[in-house]
Amino acid sequence: MSADDPAVRLALVRRELEQLSFVAHRDLCAALPAIEPHGAEQTARWAETGRDLFLHDREAGKAFLRASPGLAHAAACIDIWTEQARSFLGIRGSWKALTAYLAAWAEVVAVLGPDDGRAFAQAGIGWMRQGVEAGEIFFQTPVADWADGRGYEGVREILDPLTELAVTRAVPPGLALRGAITVRGLLGPGALVPWLTRGADILKSGRLRGEAFFRLEGPESEEALAAILPGFKTSDHERFLTLFVRAACGFTPALAPRGLALGRPAFIETDGRTLFVPPAFPSSEHALAAFLHHAGHLRFGTYDGAAIARLFREAGMEHPPLDAEQRITWRPLFALFGDDLLRFQALFDLCEDLRVDARVQALVPNHIPRLLRLAHERPAGPAAAYFDMARTTLASLMGGRGVPPPWTELLAADADLVTSWRLARALYKDGHLPALAIPDRDHLYLPGRSPNHQRPVYPRSAARPEGPETDEQEGGAVAESAATRPAPVSPGQDPDMEIPPEDTSGSGGRVGVGRPQPAQTARRLRRLAPAGAGIPYPEWDYRDQAYRRDWTRVIERDLSERDGACAAALLARHGNVLARLKRAIQAEKPRRLTPVRRQREGEELDLDAVVEYVADRRTGARPEPAIYRRRQVTRRDTAVLLLADLSTSIMQPLEDGSGRVVDRMKAALLLFAKGLESLGDPYAIAGFASKYRDAVSYYPIKDFGQTLTADTEAVLGGLSGRLATRMGAAIRHASARLRSAPGGRRLLLILSDGRPADYDDGGDERYLHEDTRMAVKEAQDAGVHAFCITLDAQGGPYLERIFGRGHFLVVGGLDELPRRLPEVYLRLRKGAA
Amino acid sequence: MRGLIDRLRGVERDIVQAPDAGDGPYYEPQGSEVAIFEAAWRRRLPVMLKGPTGCGKTRFLEYMAHRLGRPLVSVSCHEDLTSADLVGRFLLEGESTVWQDGPLTRAVKAGAICYLDEIVEARTDSTVIIHPLTDHRRRLPLEKRGLEIEAHEDFLLVISYNPGYQTVLKDLKPSTKQRFVAISFHYPSADIEARIIQNEVPGVSPQLAGDLVAIAHKARALKDHGLDEASSTRSLVYAASLIAAGLDPLAAGLAALVSPLTDDIELERALREIVKAHLDAA
Repeated sequence: MSADDPAVRLALVRRELEQLSFVAHRDLCAALPAIEPHGAEQTARWAETGRDLFLHDREAGKAFLRASPGLAHAAACIDIWTEQARSFLGIRGSWKALTAYLAAWAEVVAVLGPDDGRAFAQAGIGWMRQGVEAGEIFFQTPVADWADGRGYEGVREILDPLTELAVTRAVPPGLALRGAITVRGLLGPGALVPWLTRGADILKSGRLRGEAFFRLEGPESEEALAAILPGFKTSDHERFLTLFVRAACGFTPALAPRGLALGRPAFIETDGRTLFVPPAFPSSEHALAAFLHHAGHLRFGTYDGAAIARLFREAGMEHPPLDAEQRITWRPLFALFGDDLLRFQALFDLCEDLRVDARVQALVPNHIPRLLRLAHERPAGPAAAYFDMARTTLASLMGGRGVPPPWTELLAADADLVTSWRLARALYKDGHLPALAIPDRDHLYLPGRSPNHQRPVYPRSAARPEGPETDEQEGGAVAESAATRPAPVSPGQDPDMEIPPEDTSGSGGRVGVGRPQPAQTARRLRRLAPAGAGIPYPEWDYRDQAYRRDWTRVIERDLSERDGACAAALLARHGNVLARLKRAIQAEKPRRLTPVRRQREGEELDLDAVVEYVADRRTGARPEPAIYRRRQVTRRDTAVLLLADLSTSIMQPLEDGSGRVVDRMKAALLLFAKGLESLGDPYAIAGFASKYRDAVSYYPIKDFGQTLTADTEAVLGGLSGRLATRMGAAIRHASARLRSAPGGRRLLLILSDGRPADYDDGGDERYLHEDTRMAVKEAQDAGVHAFCITLDAQGGPYLERIFGRGHFLVVGGLDELPRRLPEVYLRLRKGAA
Repeated sequence: MRGLIDRLRGVERDIVQAPDAGDGPYYEPQGSEVAIFEAAWRRRLPVMLKGPTGCGKTRFLEYMAHRLGRPLVSVSCHEDLTSADLVGRFLLEGESTVWQDGPLTRAVKAGAICYLDEIVEARTDSTVIIHPLTDHRRRLPLEKRGLEIEAHEDFLLVISYNPGYQTVLKDLKPSTKQRFVAISFHYPSADIEARIIQNEVPGVSPQLAGDLVAIAHKARALKDHGLDEASSTRSLVYAASLIAAGLDPLAAGLAALVSPLTDDIELERALREIVKAHLDAA
């Protein structure tokens, strides 16, 4: 018997193992009956592999021997996995990966077949050579997830880009695997490469950030996914959707991003004030339907405070105390239903949604047809019954025969939240709809609709009589708009702290950040700045209907911050806007010289003037011989002063996380300056901020006489927000400055992001509103036209009172501001020509 | 009758014309504007019509002129309009000169209602010459002739202006404004506006008129949110006319109510959705 004889080799292995380990030997013997049918040669090879693995790493060997009988049964062959198991020999600490490999092998063969299975496993072994962990993750990931029902093709979709990325960008492939499978599942294979590339970039700049990205955690991941999300992206169409809702429902909805909820339907959520919108909708029709539906909830009283109070009474409950933010939670209501609350919630939503959609339908005649058109995919499971019920009731609204009896209650003119509640309870008692589990809840809503009670809500005050003007309600009744809420400023970046102490004199530095706290400070004993500091201006007190003489002091200061790099970056970023603006300005400049009539000298005769002249002469008059026509560039004599509100609120971060409000303002001011520089109109730029009536800071940034220098640009680039907005005093000072400017027409352009307010206005908004209104009037009387451009979407009502109809403009999207500001000026100026 | 119409159309007519007999122009009163105007007329107080484009200012005046039986002389003001264009000038005729009255002078002499449309557009010198006409003097000075004309007792001056943000810089001077009795016009209420459309375009169904008005009301909510001028009653009448002429309602709505209003892409899309909501496959 030679040493090559399989039986000899097997016996040798058995003996060796017997000496080495009792357990290993026992496992080998136990496995042999399953292995031996595959032939002596293969059995010997298998046994040697087991031994070698055991010698390499005891755990690996034991795992191999233990897994073998199962594999031999499941895979009908032993040679492939025996050989592949040998690949683990050369690598330290590979036993975990091997265990995972052995555990996965049966399924791999079942899903991919032996040939593709071998190739697949070989790729996994390749990964393991780069890192044991990667191999482990490779084999731990179920092969069905890899294949996604498309066999080896599906595997390649994931495998190839990951393997390539591991080579080209040194991204550990195991890191991205699970995320990649999720991303493919949600967004399709096309999204993989951009997602991976972005991840590689982030990983390069920071390990932890990169890892979080690949785990699909954190803002960067959301941002990246939102960017590659298929469908109708909300952020790209925010203005369109807002305008549409404004037109359709009569108010401007406040929007905030809801964040990515991967794998869940595109639900809009609301807290009664703001619509939290998903990053994308499957299509524009979905988006329109969802926006209308949820605007309908806000408009038609789903979150009306009085209705909610009635609802709690109806449910026999105390109105629960509001939470710290004055919001109400729905939980106690639904707690009545114990474990079955999902079923009730679904019915309640169904009733309330029908009520609201019927009301919206009256405003927008294609609303329900659109909802029905979108509701073509019937969900599976218990959700289907709810889905069907929602669809049938909606369809019956549109059908000629009308809605069946219990539902008609919802269509009554006085139907409200309580009506829906009662009907939902009746349906609930009927009990013929199936119980629901949490995952079902995502699928029972028609596209466009969503659960109504996802968030605690700010109760709205009673709806006003219906009419197109519901902005008042927005501004007044819904206590405060987003723009006036305190700016969230992180402790380390409090702009108030960065202001030199002389600016914050009076109360030891910091007071409230952002919107001042209401307080009776009008009479507060506070040492005024010494007389003589600053220029005194009167202020209008509407309560006395009289001016308070020398009530405010305006102090001119220079801005000390300079940020030329930021200015250059902003200009570069908005380069295409600037180019377009310059073209618009070129068009504005008369390319051909315009004829000026009735001149004393010129190149041609002005026929009208000649006839008049001759005729006048004949009648014996001595007319001026202004009978020529001359072509010349007409100088438009408009002088403009741009006054920017530099209060704290401009430091608010943008909702999409791409910077702060002030960044857009800086860009707008830079473009404005650049544009006017090439236009040639005399212009000045200044900023203002205030803290108490005796410290209104006025920051001249560029004066009429100066030209735009790099230093001026750097000042614009370094703008930051501070303190509050005492607009009246600033307007008075600015219009005094403007009066000394050259030019026949004087325009004071105010760029603001919120209503006038100051620390000592005692919380009485009206006080500074009225004063600002008077300041605008004074300016008007002095020949200075004031015009306000605001970023406050809810600014319409109060700005109309302050500046007058047509003397203000609401710029909806912040991103538009850089483009809109110079444009608005051109429009204003054109009107004046 | 036919001959009469031919005489009126495509034929030169003097600007001072007594109103035609008959029903007169169609006008749907919205509030107290008729009463105010009549009271102002009885006292011969100059009137200022304020309101957005296409809300019926000019039509109102035609209606009032007919109702009061006075000729109406309209002048659309533009930026080159000088005082001579209003008052008159000397012309050469053969070897001599003749004075030709301008439209304002004609109206002053004939006792007509003189309507200076969009007065802010005119040069400031032309707004100044109307001052003596608007107070107790009621006189029009003809400087070149060294004359002054006492206005005919039936003469009435009416101006219009449209406060909007494009005209912020050339608002009327307060001293000019306060010489007038002002009547503010807004777009008519929904049912009146629907009635106007049905009256202007015979054959339009109440349903369609209602839809058009609903579109306009929604579009008007976008004013000052990017839309400089809201959909006017006139544009609704245009849309109805296009539909009556056989155009598909959606196309007509887009052509008359969306495209003329804005070049802003998103705004246009929002308006388009609104039009679609009401007119698409209705």
